[in-house]
Amino acid sequence: MRCRSFAPRRQDAKKRGSGLRVFASWREISVFLLLTVGLLGTEQWRQAQQGYSWSFPQDHWVHPDYRIEWWYFTGHLRANGQERPRFGYQFTFYRVGLLSQAPPFDSDWSTRSLIMGHAAVTDLESGEHRFSELLYRTVPMLGGFDSTSGPRIAWSRAPTGTDGIWELHWNGEAFDFNARDDRQGLAFDLATTPRKPLIFQGPDGYSQKGRGADSSSFYYSFTRLDTRGTLSWDGQFYAVEGQSWMDHEFSSSVLAENQVGWDWFSLQLEDGREIMLYQLRDRSGAADFGRGTIVSAQGETAFIDLTDWTVQPQRHWDSPASGGRYPVQWTLRIPSHNLRLQVVALLDDQENRSRLLPNLDYWEGPVQVTDAQGSPLGRGFVEMTGYGKNSRPPI
Amino acid sequence: MGKRDGGGRLGAEDGTPVVAFEDVSKIYSSGEGWRTVLKGVWLEVMPGRTVSVVGRSGSGKTTLLNLAAGIDTATRGRVSVDGQDLAGLSDRARTLLRRNTIGMVFQFFHLLSHLSVQENVVLPELIAGGDPQQFKQRAENLLQRVGLDDRSRDNIQKLSGGEMQRVAICRALLRSPRLILADEPTGNLDDDTSQSVMQLMLQLVEEEGSSLIYVTHSRTLADLADESYTIHSGILDAGSPRQDAKGAKL
Amino acid sequence: MIRYLIHTAWAHFRQGPILYLLTVFGVALGVASVMGIQIINRSAVGAFRGSIQAISSNADLSVLGKSGPLPETVLPTVLADPGVESAWPVYRLDAQVSADPPFYLEVYGLDLSAPQLRPWSAESAPGQEDAYDLSDALSKPGWIAVSKRLAERMGWEKGSTFQVSQGTRQAELEVGAMVDFERFSPQSSSKLAVMDIAQAQGLLGRRGRVHQVDVRVFTQGRRGAEGGEPREEAGKEVAQRLEDALGPAVEVLSGKEREDQARDLLGAFRLNLTALSLISLFVGLFLIYSSTQASLVRRRQEFGLLRSLGATRRQLLTVILAEAAWLGVLGVALGLPVGYWVASSNLEVVSSTVTNIYLLSEIESLQFPPWLLALAASIGLGGAVLGAWLPALDMSRQDPKDLLVAYTLHERIAHSALGMAALAVLILAGAGGWYVWLGRGWQPSGFVLGVALLAALPLLSPMLVRLSCGRLPLRGFGWGYSLRALGLDLQKTASAVAALSVAVSMLVGITLMIGSFRKTVEVWMEATIQADIYITTPSWRGRRSEASISPDLVESLRSHPTVKAVDRLRSRQTVSGSNRISIAGVDLHLSGKEERFKLLAGDPKEALQAARQGAALISEPLARRSGLGLGDQLEVTVPTGQVELPIAAVYYDYGSERGAALVDWSTYADLFGPGPPSNLALYLRPGLEAEQVVEQLQEEFAATPLFFRSNRNLRQAALQIFDQTFAVVRLLQGMSLLIAACAITLTLLILARERISELALYRALGAARRQILGIYLGKGLGMAVLGLALGWLGGLALAALLIFVINRAYFGWTVQVYWPWSTLAQETAGILLAAVLAAIYPALRASRTPATELNRDEM
Repeated sequence: MRCRSFAPRRQDAKKRGSGLRVFASWREISVFLLLTVGLLGTEQWRQAQQGYSWSFPQDHWVHPDYRIEWWYFTGHLRANGQERPRFGYQFTFYRVGLLSQAPPFDSDWSTRSLIMGHAAVTDLESGEHRFSELLYRTVPMLGGFDSTSGPRIAWSRAPTGTDGIWELHWNGEAFDFNARDDRQGLAFDLATTPRKPLIFQGPDGYSQKGRGADSSSFYYSFTRLDTRGTLSWDGQFYAVEGQSWMDHEFSSSVLAENQVGWDWFSLQLEDGREIMLYQLRDRSGAADFGRGTIVSAQGETAFIDLTDWTVQPQRHWDSPASGGRYPVQWTLRIPSHNLRLQVVALLDDQENRSRLLPNLDYWEGPVQVTDAQGSPLGRGFVEMTGYGKNSRPPI
Repeated sequence: MGKRDGGGRLGAEDGTPVVAFEDVSKIYSSGEGWRTVLKGVWLEVMPGRTVSVVGRSGSGKTTLLNLAAGIDTATRGRVSVDGQDLAGLSDRARTLLRRNTIGMVFQFFHLLSHLSVQENVVLPELIAGGDPQQFKQRAENLLQRVGLDDRSRDNIQKLSGGEMQRVAICRALLRSPRLILADEPTGNLDDDTSQSVMQLMLQLVEEEGSSLIYVTHSRTLADLADESYTIHSGILDAGSPRQDAKGAKL
Repeated sequence: MIRYLIHTAWAHFRQGPILYLLTVFGVALGVASVMGIQIINRSAVGAFRGSIQAISSNADLSVLGKSGPLPETVLPTVLADPGVESAWPVYRLDAQVSADPPFYLEVYGLDLSAPQLRPWSAESAPGQEDAYDLSDALSKPGWIAVSKRLAERMGWEKGSTFQVSQGTRQAELEVGAMVDFERFSPQSSSKLAVMDIAQAQGLLGRRGRVHQVDVRVFTQGRRGAEGGEPREEAGKEVAQRLEDALGPAVEVLSGKEREDQARDLLGAFRLNLTALSLISLFVGLFLIYSSTQASLVRRRQEFGLLRSLGATRRQLLTVILAEAAWLGVLGVALGLPVGYWVASSNLEVVSSTVTNIYLLSEIESLQFPPWLLALAASIGLGGAVLGAWLPALDMSRQDPKDLLVAYTLHERIAHSALGMAALAVLILAGAGGWYVWLGRGWQPSGFVLGVALLAALPLLSPMLVRLSCGRLPLRGFGWGYSLRALGLDLQKTASAVAALSVAVSMLVGITLMIGSFRKTVEVWMEATIQADIYITTPSWRGRRSEASISPDLVESLRSHPTVKAVDRLRSRQTVSGSNRISIAGVDLHLSGKEERFKLLAGDPKEALQAARQGAALISEPLARRSGLGLGDQLEVTVPTGQVELPIAAVYYDYGSERGAALVDWSTYADLFGPGPPSNLALYLRPGLEAEQVVEQLQEEFAATPLFFRSNRNLRQAALQIFDQTFAVVRLLQGMSLLIAACAITLTLLILARERISELALYRALGAARRQILGIYLGKGLGMAVLGLALGWLGGLALAALLIFVINRAYFGWTVQVYWPWSTLAQETAGILLAAVLAAIYPALRASRTPATELNRDEM
């Protein structure tokens, strides 16, 4: 699961700014205002329910009746024919629904949604992690979600300061996508083909996030995608190839009251299996709810929950920027599947710190899977949210 | 000089003094309290007579003249000009009276520097609203008698002190007033000039048939008058009654 | 010495309170006028600045169209520039609210979904009034956020609805939030309102366009490293790149540059106001001078005594100046609140001028920076001391003996009358020569000539007085006598005559100029305004092209039984070369009335025919400003770049001092794209009364926001605005009367005081009080007449200067000279009357001089 939803945040006591430039505080308010749409408004969104009848490839495109949707790509890339992966990357398009109906105005700005894009690249050689983001209203000249009549699923203008666009296409088998950010000095253009067919993360794609009836989403993944393309870093071009993981999730649900964040793991083992699991944490830091999927080499899915695994952090990293204390090394045990894994972050600081939506900080980065002795068993990505001192609690 | 014949040209009734003071007092109130400038003054000036009053500064001599001219009013007693009580008259009436009946000569001349000699002489007529052209003749006549007719177009500032006073005398006499009041007429002149100016004034006054009251602090000049009084702290004394004075003391 | 001053102050005051009060009043006048005018001047642009601050304070630059709104597609171009951190669009329109009285709402259409657009929300927290539902803002038709102040005034709450119109489009708006813009930007107008850009475009505007793109510049180094260039430098670079990328029809300005532009627009206006304040200052100084002179004269003997007791000249000077300074303090204390009151009571008039003519935001609040207080105070104190300087110096320089004596001595100034007159001639000749050979091309040269003129007048007055009064024959104790005496006290009478002549010349000059101007405009309007009925919409404020009349309404008017023909007009602002001009597209056709249409250059028939083939007609101010004429090319900035049009004629245009151009309707459509008109002119069928048809149309079209005016009505309204704008003349008239009165009263008082023994002499010689009264009235009248005569001469010269030099340099209009005889006669009579009235009091006092004054020292 990739949960990137937006929920009410605790009021911060010191919100008053002084003078005329009160950057931080009004942004908070406005973000709050922006993101409480679902709560305060009288918008009617469809809830994720069981029994959804899927049809592909149409369902790869946008689902405007649901409030939140995203297409998430992460992967490890080897550059220029080298053995070991040089880069880890992330590419995400989000759709945030503001209105459930299109407003009736004779204007290109009369739209229902926002499009948000996140792209990150970790240079494993130099140990640097860079994050790029954009946020636009889906105005025809700034971005949008296309209909199923064409191969493009979504596109948006590149982040401010960069000429160009980000795009996501369906190439017939899987996805092609590209992103660039001149200010960050990163760009990539990747094409994927599926090594394994898509799997549903939950029965019929219905993924539960909490105990309430409306804490759910529709969620499927391509757990192993062959990836190839180009990547540029500080102007230097690399021909890259590697393996990616893709998530597509859409829902209208909200985080439960007591949930402050989650940890999410996607692991691709060398034996051909993939593991996906997420756990939502409560205020004390303990796991409150969790679900997972184990995909066999043949593509069969087995669903697990919190009772089936233990995740034990071994080492932590403190983020100076957000104040979050992130675990960066874990021991993962799934006894029912005979799995005892060491998951190690390839870089400590892989925190994405948003400037467009401040206090949106989350950790997302490539990890390595080894056994207890340290022999490599696979690769993956871990995402952790809600760790920063002021971080907005996600759904 | 000698005796006057009284009345004469001006056709006043015999026996009516030109100006009469009956028990006149003048009291000023100043900042703290009162000041009595004149105390119970009795004085009569008959037509055609010259009277001198001797006194030092502060003795009230100027006030005496002011009362006679109707410039000031008595606090007590009666001041009358030609038999008419001044107290009953309005300021305007007194002004008119002054205009027609009285001529004044001052110690500091009080000629106007922006007017010529002749214009200064004719000034009272201008004020009276008469035709200055007519009185030009009279002015010339008077100036001639004081010997200044050749200076009639000159500006005042070119004249000496004595000459200026002579012009003032002409001015005073222009409208043939019955009474001339002179306040220290020679006070600003040196001795020789004083003497000649005084003589001239007395002569003219006699020729015109007017009365004259003049105030002076010089005994010598006082003796030139028909009658002489002294005034001291507001009290007028008869001094030594003089019937005949021509420099001789009795 | 100071102790002496303090001890005697009250006694002096009681002796002559009026003179002291006059001094205080003079200071207060100067302070109040400077303060009031400066407050207005600063506030005039203040509201504009306030709006910028409220809406765009987070922006470093604004991208604006030179010739109208921009296509939306500039936004992606801006976003692509590497120096841009963020950019957001602004759609701007003025919507007329149907209320009583109707007013305009300054609506800003913003992308409300983007967080950085609400700087004013800084202090708010959810749950307060400014918090609002975003989905409502985006989807509820008519949702608008208004200022708290306005909501209070209109009694609106969340959910209240009201009707607005933009051109003939109408909409119902609903108050979605009440925002305290004022807390964030104190000067912002209360009419500020914000709605989502989709709604602004859709409900009242046009899709695909924006008026402004605000830009925040990126100042950090790459990848978030600290350091990098300072904001302003970065801003300039970005502005340059954007202008290159977006083409010549776009300009990119910082907030400060926009403010400077607005200030420029108001340049002539503010200049007028400042000139006005300087006039008041002059009056104030004169009052101080005269009243100080008068009060010092009264105390001559006191000063003589002080000096003979051993006080030095400097001590005396210090005492007098200290007294003046103290009065100055009192005057400042009085003048500051009065100045504020002047500003606030004239706020509305100035505001309407600013909005109607210069299209800026209304002025609602007054700006009162602390330095202004300091300025006003120093002017007050400085003025008091300056005004008292000469009299003080004069008094302190005299010998004690002279001071002690009651009567005055021979005047020094009589000698220098000739010298001063010669100096005056020199100044005039010099200024004239400079102008002819060197200064002609320099814009402010007219003012230099004006100053020379106003400086020469006072210098000529002693000579004038002396010549007029010297040789009059004496016929009686009356008019001739009093005039002759004037020439004596030259220093005093000449200065009163001088002050009066300056005031009168300004009054006469300006009256003449305005009278000519008005008549010229009247004549021009008669020739130019030829249609029977003129139609517009209330939200069309002169030049905002957004307010338009829908085509169906145009059609229904065209087919109306009373209407013979309809002419359409559309207009907008654009740039031509270095000038900002307005350009209008009109249905130009030969109406048969061309002979009445006066052109500066070109033949009306030929010009109209050429215009229908794409030529342009330009207004006189534009022709002068740009140096273009018949046969030249006019460069016009259009959305796609720049176009050149041949100039077929130059026409008189008194509508504005900015340049204007006129093209045919089709040419306009070629340049700027097709669109609806904003104004219509109706020609009625023969035999119909315009007023009646107006009433009829108003009834028939009552549901639409169309505004009908007959020809006559329009002309009247225009003249009304004209008169309002020149209300300054009434002020000048008042001031001239004031100067006349004060000058004469004070001078006569001084004379009566100084010539006290002379007056006593007259009384002694039998002059009645009435006669002395008459003499002094005569003196007063004499001074007035001389002042008027000199002032008239100066006024004629000044009028010529204003009409032919300054007007040409700054505005470029041709003004025919007309003589507003009745006004001039009234003004002259008024001044004479004031003079007589002013002379009464001193004359009365003079007449009361007792003859005993003659012997005061002898007592």
